[in-house]
Amino acid sequence: MNVELTELTRKFGRTRAVAGVTLEAGPGVFGLLGPNGAGKTSLLRMMATVLPPTSGTMRLLGRDPGAYGPRREIRRRLGYLPQTLGYYPGFTVAEFVEYFALLKDMPPRQVPRAVAAAIEEVGLGDRARAKLRTLSGGMLRRAGIAQAIVNEPELLLLDEPTAGLDPEQRVAFRALLRDFGQRATVMVSTHLVEDVGAACAEVALMDGGRIVFHGTPAELIARGEGSGAAGDAPLERGYSAALAAARSVAAA
Amino acid sequence: MTATTGTAVRPRPPRATGAAPMTAARLLRIELRRNAMPLILPLIAALFWFDSYRPSTATPPLYVLRTFWNMGQGHTIVDFGPFVAGVAAWMGSRDRRRDVGDLVAATARPRWAGQLATWAATAVWAVAAYLILVGALFAVYARQGVQGQPPWWWAAVGATAVIAFSAAGFAVGAWWPSRFAAPVAAFGAFLALMLSSQTGFSSFSGWALILPTNSNGNFQPDSGMLYPWLPDLPIARILFLGGLAAAALSLLGLLPGAGGPRLRQAAAVVTLAGVAAAGTSVVLARTARLGPHGIFIPALHDAANDGSISYTPVCGHAAGIPVCLNPAYQSYLAGVTAALAPVAEEVAGLPGAPVRATQVGAAYDPREGGAGQAMTITGSPPVLGMPVGALGLAGAFGWTSGEAAGQYRLLFVHAFTGAGHGPGTAAQRAVQAALLQDIGVPIATQPQLLSSVGLPSWARTGGPHGPPPATGPVYAAARRFAALPRAIQHAWLAAHLGALRSGHLTLGQLP
Repeated sequence: MNVELTELTRKFGRTRAVAGVTLEAGPGVFGLLGPNGAGKTSLLRMMATVLPPTSGTMRLLGRDPGAYGPRREIRRRLGYLPQTLGYYPGFTVAEFVEYFALLKDMPPRQVPRAVAAAIEEVGLGDRARAKLRTLSGGMLRRAGIAQAIVNEPELLLLDEPTAGLDPEQRVAFRALLRDFGQRATVMVSTHLVEDVGAACAEVALMDGGRIVFHGTPAELIARGEGSGAAGDAPLERGYSAALAAARSVAAA
Repeated sequence: MTATTGTAVRPRPPRATGAAPMTAARLLRIELRRNAMPLILPLIAALFWFDSYRPSTATPPLYVLRTFWNMGQGHTIVDFGPFVAGVAAWMGSRDRRRDVGDLVAATARPRWAGQLATWAATAVWAVAAYLILVGALFAVYARQGVQGQPPWWWAAVGATAVIAFSAAGFAVGAWWPSRFAAPVAAFGAFLALMLSSQTGFSSFSGWALILPTNSNGNFQPDSGMLYPWLPDLPIARILFLGGLAAAALSLLGLLPGAGGPRLRQAAAVVTLAGVAAAGTSVVLARTARLGPHGIFIPALHDAANDGSISYTPVCGHAAGIPVCLNPAYQSYLAGVTAALAPVAEEVAGLPGAPVRATQVGAAYDPREGGAGQAMTITGSPPVLGMPVGALGLAGAFGWTSGEAAGQYRLLFVHAFTGAGHGPGTAAQRAVQAALLQDIGVPIATQPQLLSSVGLPSWARTGGPHGPPPATGPVYAAARRFAALPRAIQHAWLAAHLGALRSGHLTLGQLP
């Protein structure tokens, strides 16, 4: 298993952002759905090893990220796109991706080729020498994705990766996800259920810091059939139905 | 709530073993390209031109005087320090300001290593700019025919100060990643430098000598001309500034997330070593003493630096006696011989009259300010020793050629009467006044001459209300002696000069 989480909890003051999540995942694309404040970003940040859990255990890529040495090994094999992508405006796309490739301890001789490949994969080959400050929001997002995948990660964590992408770019991005899912564990946090339907083999729905549904997209669709839940698409109706069911159980 | 998907973990990617230097070099290259420091360098260069170079050109063409302004008083450091600290703080706070913290934290390389690359690029730009500007400064001086040896040690102190300000500023930015970090660091650096300068104006010894803009250092008048620049104090200051820089940077290695346990232990060791180096340098500065060639620190002093710089003097003649100066002072030779000639002519033939005048090394006593030191007549045959470097030079610091000549004549006569390093006895002062009158300095104007700020404090008279009138028993005896025919004066001096010089004569024993 690339991801093994057991009763993982993260508190911010009195707020439990993540409340006892247990999850295992191997290679493949894993969708993480949920409303705002469900705990998706906190869960991804813990898996990205930038936020320590308050309690519970976590093993990533077969290692314990609580210890420095294993954590460093995990980070070498990790790709991470945060929800809010910070960037250095004066860097070019190529410099930005190269910078993070070097910080990820990639063998320096492999870096130039890997950088070029990552930039091509996200469709920014013609803007490689453009400064980040000159890029549109969607292009910046793609530059962020390029830095996440430059080291061919075994664990790729993407927080709202398609935000700001136009439909054509989203279609291309889903293909990229499927491709990575062949050889790595890809965890995608998103509000856009169509992304999940198109790219994910598995999906988990979070609410109130807990996973309230886990299954395949088809199983999520099935939850919505005949439920009368709101939504324009089958997956949206499944999402709404699963969420409503979880909330009614919690209220009871 | 358990979710599971299962497949095998794929093989590990290749690791970057043995590639750390190349990775560091590539990071540095990117940081150098995108550093903010080059944006501020034109401003620093302009400031350097107006604050460090332009004012220095008003001083005589001697390295020791030209660079006393910009290096001795630390103007080059003042020009760089605040800006470098500000930009370094800006770079140090970059990741948080740009919201890149999570991205960077999720990478394998220790955070400290990444920060050091950012700082190193900032420091490289700043130090390179400093060295280029100082190099250009020296090149311009060389083209202007400035004499002596450049103060390389003091240039090294300036470069180390730039490194220290960049390190301190970067640490401020990293610890306090706010948009206000840069202005606060810049203003703090400026304030520290101003305090350093102010302390330097009043502190001639002790710990304050370690401050980078304390001008009471090794800028001895003849450094680099008659004797070498002493490296003692510069070494102590480099130790101080380097220690502070190391401590500031290694403090970042103590932050949570900076790296692994071994790296943080190493950072702790470097922090302690930096603090120890800075503390040691302060202790060393407290042991500093003023020697004939400048400030020396016994623990750091190399006796090999106590020698003189050999040179072939340039000579002229004053009333028949050769007057020889270091070639660096060649442009002043005519003025010096003209100034000495009347006195040499007046005392010619008397016992103890010098047969030659030669330049001797001058030592700057900070308590005397810009004042000179005594001329001496020693040896057999007698030789007049002139500490030209400690005396006023015509055209320098507002000195007119007349004022400079008056100073030379006064000190020559003062040495001739045997008054030495003090005001002399009443009889010596009376004879001094009479001889000065004989060579054309009326007694009535001598208090004006004696109140010159260019004289040693012991030779100066007067106070806040100006020079006193030329009255009293000394001047009465002087007038009496000066009124005698020259032959009688000479005869009396020939007979009594030994007693006069030994201080045994009283005013009443003067003719």
